[in-house]
Amino acid sequence: MRDNTDPVVRTGRREALIVVGIWLTAGIWSVTASYRLGYNRPVEELKLIWGFPEWTFWGVAVPWVVCVIISWIFGALFVHDADLGEELPEEADELGLGS
Amino acid sequence: MNNLPPALLAAGDTATMPSVGYGALIALVGFIFASLWIGALANRKTREGSFMTGFFLGNRGLGAWALALTATVQSGGTFMGFPSLVYTHGWIVALWIGGYIVVPITGFGILGKRLAQLSRRTEAITVPDLFRARFGSPALGLVASLFILLYLSFMMFAQFKAGAIVMKTAWPGSGVLSVNEDQKPFALSTNSLSALKEDRVPDSVIEKLTPLVGHGFSTERDLASQLKSLLTAEELTESKDRIVKRSKQLDRLYLYGLAIFSLTVVAYTLMGGFLAAVWTDMFQSVLMFFGVMVLLFASLHQAGGLENATRTALKNTGPGYVYGPGYDDRFEGPKAAPNAKTAPRLAYDAEVPREFLPLSLALSFFCVWVWSGVGSPASLVRLMASQNTQVIRRSIYLLSVYNLGIYLPLIVICICGRALIPELPGQTDEIIPRMALLSTKDWPGGSLIAGMILAAPFGAVMSTVSSYLVVLSSGLVRDIYQRFIRPQATPGELRKAAYLSMVFVGAVAVVVNISPVAYLQAFIVFSSTGSAATFLIPAIMACYWRRATVAGALAGMIGGASTVLSLYLLGILEKTPEQRIGQLTSFRPYYLCDVDPFLWGVLVSGLFSVGVSLLTSPPDEALVSKMFDKEPAK
Repeated sequence: MRDNTDPVVRTGRREALIVVGIWLTAGIWSVTASYRLGYNRPVEELKLIWGFPEWTFWGVAVPWVVCVIISWIFGALFVHDADLGEELPEEADELGLGS
Repeated sequence: MNNLPPALLAAGDTATMPSVGYGALIALVGFIFASLWIGALANRKTREGSFMTGFFLGNRGLGAWALALTATVQSGGTFMGFPSLVYTHGWIVALWIGGYIVVPITGFGILGKRLAQLSRRTEAITVPDLFRARFGSPALGLVASLFILLYLSFMMFAQFKAGAIVMKTAWPGSGVLSVNEDQKPFALSTNSLSALKEDRVPDSVIEKLTPLVGHGFSTERDLASQLKSLLTAEELTESKDRIVKRSKQLDRLYLYGLAIFSLTVVAYTLMGGFLAAVWTDMFQSVLMFFGVMVLLFASLHQAGGLENATRTALKNTGPGYVYGPGYDDRFEGPKAAPNAKTAPRLAYDAEVPREFLPLSLALSFFCVWVWSGVGSPASLVRLMASQNTQVIRRSIYLLSVYNLGIYLPLIVICICGRALIPELPGQTDEIIPRMALLSTKDWPGGSLIAGMILAAPFGAVMSTVSSYLVVLSSGLVRDIYQRFIRPQATPGELRKAAYLSMVFVGAVAVVVNISPVAYLQAFIVFSSTGSAATFLIPAIMACYWRRATVAGALAGMIGGASTVLSLYLLGILEKTPEQRIGQLTSFRPYYLCDVDPFLWGVLVSGLFSVGVSLLTSPPDEALVSKMFDKEPAK
């Protein structure tokens, strides 16, 4: 039965899982880095990188740029193009919506 | 830094307040005409193909730019609420918004392709349509449309009010630069205090009123009882009427604003339907991108670089400004002690600082932004309208670049803001407009650029309202009128019904906003979170799980919605102890285990959907096969 599954369902499901993986990785990175570098620290030790507090730089700015690159790679290479199918011709429209 | 005019440093002083002049008004009128023009353009495009898919779904022809720049949650909040949070709490807001780094990829990558396919197979025009056909259950479709109608009505009514108030404040000389979306009918600003001074209210009285600045009151009685506790009986009889008059937010100018705003939005949405909503949204987003870029360079220049800005902002505030869990003005600020004691309504314990973003909430928000973006009905509809898979792929990287270019710069601008304008008591919403005026004042044509940025919230509110209008009207026409009242309706009748429903919804919104109901705002706060918690899990199941049943999807919707609703009710009715985390608002949810209600909603929704699906008998194999298997060769 399953071999007959539409390819869009299969590739869609796989891509969705990859995306969830990316989300988890990004979340763990961002929150861990920010928490370790940015919570419960004395203000005297404040380090700035390009004007960002150290934790913002490593915990938000850098992962943000990385995610933009990953989005690019993912969108360009990983998403399978597919025919999404056509709508029924309007005469056959069950509700008579055709004009 | 030192050559700044002191006028701009002393925030809120009417006598020396930077003049907005006609810049904002010109920009606003420009927005209105541009939107009407776009509506007319969309009208022509809509006439290709059948009325329903044309008017409500743009003939499924959305290109990458349109999809990328409008499918995300962007409203007046982006340019008012969010900047105000950065200004108030500091760098930690970067982590609060951190989830946005993956929003483009999750928003389009998880459901995009499959949803676009399903909506074609089921010929769905609306989200309820899709559920109804995918599960073969009219009842499920009806429940979905009732939820959507309920949530969207609440969210839209509030936007009308925001639009009206922005119009009102754009009037030269109104002395206000920006407004909160949840503006209460009575509030005292520093401007109204100076106005009171002109009314010859004694200085001693004005001094006693200062702690009230920035707090809204739902009714005149609330305000009066607050005044009673602050003033002596004599002062009260003498100045009460003047104080009430000056704190009134909803007056004749507001009503004009409401009328102009409603007419514009309904008019262009009526002309162009879904496409008009999408195109105005896109126009607005592109304009804002340039606005933010200009403002970024101007404010970095003004503040002497980001490093300087961060250090100065830190000096103006306290250590919380550069570290987690965020800066608490009332606790660390120079005037913390007296303010904390006299601040009305907000039960505040000066001993314990408020944690804007403890670890639990940092984790929560990383999930909230991502998954509420995936599950919100407005973004589901946009995915259904996308042209093809190439468009979805390109949208992923377009949006990721766009978001990086909007949110990170906005944070930087507001940090510069805190360095250049050390304090804005009760008016932190005005930070972006103020920065716009401040940093463009020496430029040729600066007031127009500032005007454009001042008008930004208006544009954002307009495009939000018009997209809600489309969804609401499609819900009424497609899911109620055509399904249950008149299945045999002709295209002509459907067109008439669509126009009537939009005018009707617009009229109801105007009537509701002439004298806003006190507790409306509470439902709005709940609606945006609630709608995503209701539809996320059922939508994922509809796309990827063959075994999902009608009962499962139904249980998931109701479970998610009621969980979020009850956590909000617990917080709003103050049945639970005050929690010292998160944003300081009058409508707080109850953070069970310090976690955002949305996540509890999704968890319950997930358990219910999966559990009930497995307990009920499997769905009809023929139906599932039609949705999941290759289409038979023709």
